[in-house]
Amino acid sequence: MRFMVIVKANEDSEAGKGPSAELLEQMGKFNEEMVKAGILLAGEGLTPSSQGARVVFSGTEEPKVVDGPFAETKELVGGFWILQCRDREECIEWIKRMPNPDGHAGEVEIRRVAEAADFENMTPEVEALEGRLRAQSSGQA
Amino acid sequence: MRFLVMVKASPESEAADFQPAAEELAEMARFNDRLAGEGRIVLTEGLTSSAEGARVLFDGDVEPKVIDGPFAETKELVAGFWVLNGESLEDVVALMKEVPCLGPRGGVLEIRPISE
Repeated sequence: MRFMVIVKANEDSEAGKGPSAELLEQMGKFNEEMVKAGILLAGEGLTPSSQGARVVFSGTEEPKVVDGPFAETKELVGGFWILQCRDREECIEWIKRMPNPDGHAGEVEIRRVAEAADFENMTPEVEALEGRLRAQSSGQA
Repeated sequence: MRFLVMVKASPESEAADFQPAAEELAEMARFNDRLAGEGRIVLTEGLTSSAEGARVLFDGDVEPKVIDGPFAETKELVAGFWVLNGESLEDVVALMKEVPCLGPRGGVLEIRPISE
């Protein structure tokens, strides 16, 4: 099973304050451990929401664009991993060990990535397109 | 530059019996095929509802606490995402205005640059 692990933003990440040297070092080691365990498929950090935008769709109107920053800091995404784990519990156990040397209060959300079998209305046409897409995008992350 | 484009959840996507229709899956697959042809797609995935998820809460040196989903603030949840290559934020915004399915149904995309 694959999981998207969403590390929520905090005041520091939203202010554009980078991680401390200690956190960078410990996070590097943690990522290395996950690579060795064969579970790390992708991982990225995001810039503050002030550099982002939202596109809001409502019915037939032209979509509206809203520029960041966005207010609800604790609900924003600060970064993410895609992990391959046996089950949700294994993923939770890994994330509990995530380094937090600065003692920040924070939240990490773990969500299962949908597989083809989750979609009841998948047609052979769509599965073929998806397969081609995976072949093209694999290895780019 | 690379961007994380998140599709925000909706009451429909969070519902236990939610299944995109065959036509919606096909439209999205064709859109993704087009983006892939342009060399845009690094990753794209959908997430299952937050009912299958969990949160791990950190607070100082205390043992992290685990909370099982579902989570209440539907509109802040992520339902799916792309990692895309783009020239600029404006470039990706223009591209994602054409995303299928969200128009008629309503919905929100959040586009965030990835740190390099």
